[in-house]
Amino acid sequence: MSENPYRPHLMRIVDAIEETGDVRTLRLKFLEPEIASQLHWQAGQFGQFSIFGSGESVFTIANAPSRGGYIECTFRQMGKVTSGLRNLSVGQVVGFRGPYGNHFPIEEWRGRDLLFVGGGIGMAALHAPLQFALDHRDEFGEIVVLNGARAVADMVYKEEMKEWERATGVRVVRTVDPGGETPDWNGEVGLIPDVFERLRPEPDGRIVITCGPPVMLRFMLMALEKLSFKSEQVITTLENKMKCGIGQCGRCNVGRYLLCRQGPVFTWAQLKELPSDY
Amino acid sequence: MEREGWRLSDKEWREWVEALLRAGKLVIAPVKENDLLLFRHVLMADEISVSDQGKAQWSPKEFLFPRSEPLLIYRLRGAEVDLEEPKADEREQVLVGLRPCDAAGLSRLDDIFLLEEQDPSYAQRKKHTTIVSLACDRAEPECFCTAVGGSPAGTQGSDLLLLPLDDGWILRVLTPKGKELVAGWAARWRPALAEDWDRTEERRSAVENSIQLSPLSAQWGTALEKSFGHPLWESLGQRCLGCGICAYVCPSCSCFDINDEGNSFCGTRCRSWDSCAFARFTLHASGHNPRPTQPSRYRQRVLHKFAYFPDQHEGRFMCVGCGRCLRLCPVGIDIHHTVERAASAASPEEERP
Amino acid sequence: MDQLVEAREAPERTTEKGWEPRIVAMVCNWCTYAGADMAGTARRVYAPSVRIVRFLCTGRIDPLFIVKAFEQGADGVVVSGCHPGDCHYVQGNLLARRRFTVFQALMDFLGLDRRRLHFAWISASEGVKWSRIVDEATAAVREAGPLRHWGRPVKGNSSAQPLLPDTDAGIAPRDPPSAEENQLITGHLQELVTNLLSDGTVSTVIGYTAGSLPQQMVPLFVNEPRDASTLGWNEHCANNLVIYLPQVLKKNRDAKIGLVTKSCDARALIPLIREGQLRREQIVLLGIPCRGMWNQGKMAAKCYSCSEEVSPFTDWTITPEGTKKGSLTSAERRQVSPDPRDREIASLGSFLPEERWDYWQRQFDRCLRCYACRAVCPLCYCATCISDKNRPQWIPTTIDGKGNMAWNVVRAMHLAGRCIGCDECARVCPAGIRLDLLNRGLVQEIERRFDFCSHVNPESSPPLTTFQPDDPDEFI
Ligand SMILES: Cc1cc2nc3c(=O)[nH]c(=O)nc-3n(C[C@H](O)[C@H](O)[C@H](O)COP(=O)(O)OP(=O)(O)OC[C@H]3O[C@@H](n4cnc5c(N)ncnc54)[C@H](O)[C@@H]3O)c2cc1C
Ligand code: SF4
Ligand code: SF4
Ligand code: SF4
Ligand code: SF4
Repeated sequence: MSENPYRPHLMRIVDAIEETGDVRTLRLKFLEPEIASQLHWQAGQFGQFSIFGSGESVFTIANAPSRGGYIECTFRQMGKVTSGLRNLSVGQVVGFRGPYGNHFPIEEWRGRDLLFVGGGIGMAALHAPLQFALDHRDEFGEIVVLNGARAVADMVYKEEMKEWERATGVRVVRTVDPGGETPDWNGEVGLIPDVFERLRPEPDGRIVITCGPPVMLRFMLMALEKLSFKSEQVITTLENKMKCGIGQCGRCNVGRYLLCRQGPVFTWAQLKELPSDY
Repeated sequence: MEREGWRLSDKEWREWVEALLRAGKLVIAPVKENDLLLFRHVLMADEISVSDQGKAQWSPKEFLFPRSEPLLIYRLRGAEVDLEEPKADEREQVLVGLRPCDAAGLSRLDDIFLLEEQDPSYAQRKKHTTIVSLACDRAEPECFCTAVGGSPAGTQGSDLLLLPLDDGWILRVLTPKGKELVAGWAARWRPALAEDWDRTEERRSAVENSIQLSPLSAQWGTALEKSFGHPLWESLGQRCLGCGICAYVCPSCSCFDINDEGNSFCGTRCRSWDSCAFARFTLHASGHNPRPTQPSRYRQRVLHKFAYFPDQHEGRFMCVGCGRCLRLCPVGIDIHHTVERAASAASPEEERP
Repeated sequence: MDQLVEAREAPERTTEKGWEPRIVAMVCNWCTYAGADMAGTARRVYAPSVRIVRFLCTGRIDPLFIVKAFEQGADGVVVSGCHPGDCHYVQGNLLARRRFTVFQALMDFLGLDRRRLHFAWISASEGVKWSRIVDEATAAVREAGPLRHWGRPVKGNSSAQPLLPDTDAGIAPRDPPSAEENQLITGHLQELVTNLLSDGTVSTVIGYTAGSLPQQMVPLFVNEPRDASTLGWNEHCANNLVIYLPQVLKKNRDAKIGLVTKSCDARALIPLIREGQLRREQIVLLGIPCRGMWNQGKMAAKCYSCSEEVSPFTDWTITPEGTKKGSLTSAERRQVSPDPRDREIASLGSFLPEERWDYWQRQFDRCLRCYACRAVCPLCYCATCISDKNRPQWIPTTIDGKGNMAWNVVRAMHLAGRCIGCDECARVCPAGIRLDLLNRGLVQEIERRFDFCSHVNPESSPPLTTFQPDDPDEFI
């Protein structure tokens, strides 16, 4: 009899970072260390995280494969499972199965300038490729990170951004939606697509990697169009409800593509061909 | 294909089923219960209802893909977690009296659960299951198996097939597994004669001809995909109520949900049937729903069956034409009609066979 | 499936003294809890098998909690709070009393062993009464034994169900209308709808058209006058089209909608207006005198006792003779026969509770949880149904005995005092579950107890949101 694909590996929470009031980053270590060395993933892939008694939830694996030995995820408390997860603390055990899905075509980005645009928790999906690029800093050109949030308090990776900025040739732009700023805010104020336009990035030799809520994505694509980016230069990762992660439960498809298999990473060029099922 | 089969009386095949029961096999067959024909575990062969009653209320898929089943059992001890896997079901089961469409439907489940990633509990059950189908003597008004590549005497998904004659049956062997199930009986049975086979052929074509609906073509998949944004879908799905009937009675629908049932000390992770017609099927925790309206959900059902699935499975539809969804839909939504309308709306010049 | 149930269930408690019943007591903080506390401090000994769950008020004790307790393995439940008139929140327990009345009636109808469910009023000073009630309840539950059949049939696997009398045996159905009559009505209807749409009286008409199967009529939305010609009418127009009103109104709050209705369907408007879901002015009721709906050669059970040819609210009446504004003037009610289901209900009532329980568990066991009953119900309009809520997961997601039991009990409770008896849920249930008997049982109970009928007066208060100080409570 074949292995039960639903049996998760058990992992212990070894570290927890409070990113915002409802976003947390967890670092998880496998209870069986051999698994850690057998598990290979690539930036952009995701896993099914189990909180026993609450259920399973899909999160992007937030750490780059270049930082192996553990798994990180950044999650926002939304519903049943994520609330269950938030109630756990360091030392407790959760489950992980994966990695699932396709990944960012990082190989194709070598020598290019990279522009990461993340809105809210969408930043979590960009974390792994960004970390990868930083770990292989000399293989890529300029790196710009545009991290947007509704309000200052909702900004994720606040501490890490300082670290990113210290690397050479990396620029970090922070922005909050109008009205979300605080008196001592020294970042940008404006919706992400607007701030993006203001940055006037040159399309030449640049890859834009973006993730955020569906509305943001829509306006981002309009802004990209305006700045004459080609659809092959833009890449995003989608989010659809999913349960099994292995192409059987039947709900995550966008048109004929199953997000858990042929996704979640798509180029803008591919998205144009797909029905709006996301 | 070589035809191998025996000419049996009603009594003879029931004796055989009786023997299967005595040998400790589970026998599942249509049984009349409160005016419904339902697949049930039977204790006696005589309970089985094979007379001219048409198909059972819903397909027997639950005996391979249960309505709900445990995937894991968890127990928490302080910070630690113990996982246990449910015991595999190892009893031999024989499904008797499936209409050919139902058997074909089960083979679609194989496509889902065995092809790419093996689902162990499904694989296990399937391994221990033998399927004895029952050819149709009459098509019901909702039947359209012939329009989707099936037949009232279709063999897909069956190990054995009972073919009705005026005065008895032919039991036809289709697979080695089927042959094994009749091992030891062949000696006392009369082989079917050429004229018996001819009779069944006549019957088959008579029933086939009584089904008037025109064939649907796997070539229309692209047209259907193109129809995605067509306003026609609004009217095709407008009256759909978003219940789960069509998915739950369908022999080929296989979508499921996974939830933890229990508390924070112990419980099970369960897989249960789910339906693409439910709003919460795709509802994100954020409140965003990629398929926000009933027509958009109904469109998913149709495109999944007639465009996406055939695309990945050599042109097989994920519909076997049993017509149950039409018969039991509270508002009479007709999937065959929908496919024709949508395909021709997207490409009116599409050639029709 | 059994594995699934077993893994979720706590094992039965057996000690050296043998099996110990598990009893959950749901009590109000102000009276019974204080009373129990007093019993404790006074060291009155009472059976230790009781787990107390404290609520601020009995008004907060939803019958669903009782269902949940049984589902999670309780063998018995005790519910107790302040005496009527003593509620800390003035009327919480009076409202609760009505809910408990209906719930107790439902449990009786289903055949739950009475020894498992106990209600009592116990004040803060009645520690003695508390220990007596607990002792009595424990003794009763002990006598009843472990509850093994919540969500499971009593009698093993056989498919035999006790037989109810044949629905329409001996009662003559009305004659169905002739094809000519239907044709005449159809013609007048099409003409009227064309006019109403052309002059802008309504923007949409919801009616019926021929479906794909013989004798099948299905809902049809007509927005353009020229499409009115597809409308049809005959004795197979089963659907209650009122269900579509919320959907149309959601798109356009001020839409005026024409609705083809039978008198039974139109009744649904009364509770909907009562519950603030729509305004009467928005609906133009196109009533057709109905002699009964037919399916597979049988007249629908609800039609035998139906006394109204058209609803009194009808705006346009369409008869074979023509179209007329307003309802039929002849207020005289037509000849009716007894509802054949009353014999079935009576017959169920004559069963032993255990047999009744077995009957219903077998019915619920078939439930596929397709939620079609909810989908076709004009009164199931909640934006998020309780079965779709997962924090907490009130209704188990599993399609098995317990989940099905919770779903069917909760839905019956939610419709108590609201159901108008259109029988749509029973008509569409693919599992043939006799939801009509269940709902009708509660309708009758509510009429008997609270003299309330859901479809009569939109101004009256729903029976479960109000109370009388002297409501009967003999079961408490
Ligand atoms: C490929 C992918 C990557 C993701 N990465 C992240 C991430 O890095 N960080 C993060 O915070 N969130 C991420 N999400 C979203 C996250 O999965 C949901 O927010 C989360 O599952 C909500 O679960 P819940 O139980 O709290 O909500 P509930 O509303 O209680 O949902 C119940 C169940 O529905 C499913 N579900 C609900 N919403 C979603 C959804 N949007 N996507 C997938 N399943 C859903 C889950 O199975 C969940 O268990 C990702 C989603 C996808 C598809
Ligand atoms: S098509 Fe019919 S059966 Fe299917 S969800 Fe819609 S109303 Fe229900
Ligand atoms: S889609 Fe309908 S007709 Fe096709 S197999 Fe399923 S239930 Fe039968
Ligand atoms: S659809 Fe075909 S195989 Fe199925 S019951 Fe009808 S005639 Fe038989
Ligand atoms: S319609 Fe019948 S089968 Fe479907 S959920 Fe309701 S009771 Fe269950």
